[in-house]
Amino acid sequence: MIGMPVEALETPVLLVDMDALEHNIGVIADFYRHRHIRLRPHGKNHKSPGILAMQAAAGGTVGGVCAAKVSEAEVFVDAGAGNVLIANQVVDADKIRRLAMLAGRVDTTVAVDDETQVGKLAAGARSAGTTLSVVIEIDTVMRRAGVRCIEHAVALAQLVVEMPGLRFRGVMSHQVPVVRAPSREQRFAEGGRSIERVVDAKRAIEAAGIPVDMVSTGESWTYDVAATYPEVTEIEGGTYVVMEVPYSYMQEFRLAARVMGRVYARPDARTAIGDVPIEAIGAPNGLPTLEGLDGVRVTGIDHHGVVLSAEKILPLEIGAHFFLLTHQQDVTVNRWDRLVGVREGVVETVFEASARGCVH
Amino acid sequence: MQRPIEKPAGTPVEDLDTPALIIDLDRLDANFAAVPGPARAEVWIHGTPAIARRQLTHPMVFGIAVRSISEAEIFAAAGFDNIRILRPLVTDASKRRAEALARSIRLAESAGEQGDRLPLWGVDAMDGAVTVSARVTSVPEQGRAIHDCGQKAVGRDHGDPVIAGRERLRASGGSAEHGIVLCPPDEPPFAVGDWLQLVPADIPTAFALHDFAFGVRDGHLDAVWPISARGAF
Repeated sequence: MIGMPVEALETPVLLVDMDALEHNIGVIADFYRHRHIRLRPHGKNHKSPGILAMQAAAGGTVGGVCAAKVSEAEVFVDAGAGNVLIANQVVDADKIRRLAMLAGRVDTTVAVDDETQVGKLAAGARSAGTTLSVVIEIDTVMRRAGVRCIEHAVALAQLVVEMPGLRFRGVMSHQVPVVRAPSREQRFAEGGRSIERVVDAKRAIEAAGIPVDMVSTGESWTYDVAATYPEVTEIEGGTYVVMEVPYSYMQEFRLAARVMGRVYARPDARTAIGDVPIEAIGAPNGLPTLEGLDGVRVTGIDHHGVVLSAEKILPLEIGAHFFLLTHQQDVTVNRWDRLVGVREGVVETVFEASARGCVH
Repeated sequence: MQRPIEKPAGTPVEDLDTPALIIDLDRLDANFAAVPGPARAEVWIHGTPAIARRQLTHPMVFGIAVRSISEAEIFAAAGFDNIRILRPLVTDASKRRAEALARSIRLAESAGEQGDRLPLWGVDAMDGAVTVSARVTSVPEQGRAIHDCGQKAVGRDHGDPVIAGRERLRASGGSAEHGIVLCPPDEPPFAVGDWLQLVPADIPTAFALHDFAFGVRDGHLDAVWPISARGAF
């Protein structure tokens, strides 16, 4: 496939624009390289050890990875990630055993928001003869996982400190913007409020006499906001790598991922059906966006393909190729076993998405 | 590729590593017994040769239907014959692949006078037989449980899943990696570690997210099947 012109590829296929990918990775690396804060690249967004290696080489990272799941973390550690944060809770004995074994290979940190999790993790680490690092997850706006009040964070930190097998590190949080397409001012105001809540939790834990060396908060949309807080040690960034249409308010990042498809039917002059089924791109946040054809848009997608509709004559004949932009990049990437890297219309490399499907 | 913790046959379904794509084999057999007449099984729905093989044991099922040349190649390699590719092939490369395939197996013509007349037997073959298991990982506030089966394990392209046997619970704004369940005050509350079974809003999407299907009978693991055609769009 390497060296082929993109139009010669069989479709559908997930493409990543190498210029845009390098640009995006470079923006955060350049911004963090000489600051106190570090990027913890989130593996869930690209699933690819090859892209993680590009992030690490660009600099400004923690030298490790963030993962949503234990099995995802294993893939990146196998590929050389030097340390891991599982930004999630791990509660069943089987998974804790795997996690504790991973901690025997690299420094492994996991998030907790509940006393029962702490007890189970400590038992797992002791039984494996390793030490698990622990952060307290702080809920800021999402009402997902995470402690709801700072007193609970302090109590959990005290419990972790007392548990043999565990090492207390600090606090973490994750948030998405409440405002759709926030302006720079809105990002700093809204993102800042969430980050301050995490910083407050850090201070309260320290006030209880427990040292904190990890404050992991902020993500692609607050990479610059988080850098204004000296207490924040790292952000968990992932969306910026290949980007998605609703995130375009972050104008410093470029849309790097496309699904290329081909027209296989023309039911009438204004309509074309393309060979991208809904499973190949995912549409939890609305229809994908057709790129670069004025007056033509995506009007439907199902298991047999995508419907392209024009107001007048649709200029795509049967066999013509087209490009779709995703509205949720990590959901799209997770449907594919590889990302085909393209520069100036020619395939340059193929990234194996080795962690695709690692939901365990 | 998924990396679940492997468990032996006979393992209780609740002990399978979550999230797991679970096939209720009794329900599957009942669905398969109800083929209305001569038919071609739409195996693209599950992409799983072991399930397709069970469908073909029915005397009224005469072949299989897939969407793409890639799916056809995978099923041919798994030993299947009489395959219809539903999507028209438009590139020279895919036509050549089909010609090569047609030298070793029968490829049914999709359109025209000589076209395939067998009606398609579709998603009702899998109806009610497919769930995805989940485990509660956090109960951060009363009435709200977070579990480990998000969009990447159950799909949300067609809406939120429902919780098998507990229809009064409601899924709320699931994320890529987490699911959220809202529990009314008069329902038994959740605890960390609780096990759930989710009914996906769309079966082909659920299969597209997994590499293994876990066949379960009477609450115990009976077979683990590779979803060999996953991702062969």
